[in-house]
Amino acid sequence: MALTSSRIESTDFRDAQELYHSRGWTDGLPIIPPTPELVQACLDWALLPSEHLVGIEPVRERAITAEKLAINSVMAGCLPEHFPLVVTAFTAMLQPEFLLHGATASTGGCAVLLIVNGPIRHQLQMAGTFNALGNTDRASAVVGRAVRLALINLLDLRPGEIDRSTLGHPGKFSYCLVEDEENSPWPSLAEERLGDSDVSAVTAVAAMAPRQIMNEWTTDPQEICDTIAAEIKANQLHYSIWAGNYVIVLPTQLRQHFIDAGWSKSDIQTYVFQQARVIRGDWRGVGKGSVVKDRADREYPAMTSPDDLIVVAAGGPAGGFAQIIPPWLGTKSRATTVPVGACVDCEVP
Amino acid sequence: MPAMSVMTSAFADAAELMARVQGVPLHPFAVIEHPIASADDVGINARAREAVEKAVEVLVSR
Repeated sequence: MALTSSRIESTDFRDAQELYHSRGWTDGLPIIPPTPELVQACLDWALLPSEHLVGIEPVRERAITAEKLAINSVMAGCLPEHFPLVVTAFTAMLQPEFLLHGATASTGGCAVLLIVNGPIRHQLQMAGTFNALGNTDRASAVVGRAVRLALINLLDLRPGEIDRSTLGHPGKFSYCLVEDEENSPWPSLAEERLGDSDVSAVTAVAAMAPRQIMNEWTTDPQEICDTIAAEIKANQLHYSIWAGNYVIVLPTQLRQHFIDAGWSKSDIQTYVFQQARVIRGDWRGVGKGSVVKDRADREYPAMTSPDDLIVVAAGGPAGGFAQIIPPWLGTKSRATTVPVGACVDCEVP
Repeated sequence: MPAMSVMTSAFADAAELMARVQGVPLHPFAVIEHPIASADDVGINARAREAVEKAVEVLVSR
């Protein structure tokens, strides 16, 4: 089917930039003008008709079609081969348990963290090593940005409009992480969550900004986990006490200590689940004594179960660092994982 | 059963926007003082009274 979006004439590249900025259609950075040829190329690559319904955002009752996602993908700088990841990301975000409207409109100001697994990482030359959560590679940058532009343009998530974030964080420009599966003996996140070691998949997490920890002075997995748990507990006390999907990003140096000691991802999940918990009375030490009331001894685990902890092998080869990525707000939004190419309830019943 | 939306002042424009994009631009709601979470007991009681008064006003007027 032919493209149906309205077409706008522009005299040149610079004029197109000003037009898109003036209409609030960008994230503040320049865009690639989404010409019909470039949009169609994305659709052709993904073998999707323009009217293909990726899903419906239930609160706004907005249909998200392949054509609209392709337009925003081109704008973000995507090549056609990047487009299937954008479709998969939105499919994951449109699962009911992700709670897309709440997660993207809330004052809490989280971003959508995408975690990519599987062979598609190689096809797109995506890197899960140096600068894994920064400007690591082209595909990560543009796929993450495409999601944000689509949220802006398809769901009106502009600051002060539907997006009510008090502060937000830099991940709202692009927040895409690739697992370094080749340098890890552990099952990938996709394998853990989908049970298939060969699948390419995207996991979407309503996620706050990363918090970096450092512990270069031990090789003991328990001590490394204690540092990680301490950072999670700090987040519970300083930000939100509620349990949810925390992400741990483990780079090579610290990861190797776990591997040498024979620890699996499951061992990390189990240990951190036991350690990362606070009591309500701890709030007294961080200026929140007024809400302790008569429940000072009540315990709050950071996760509802060990499986809530998402362990990702990623990061450069040197440095005793790891990062903790907290959830937006407890279990209100759950991490969702969708295989690339899957259609999950994507047709109108 | 009659229902009434209550917003604090910081969210009034968001509520108006959501009502507009959902196709009910004149949907009424009561606006009370922001914020709620840090208000003391006196402040909470005052906001509750304010909410009830404005809700009654809206419900009776329609």
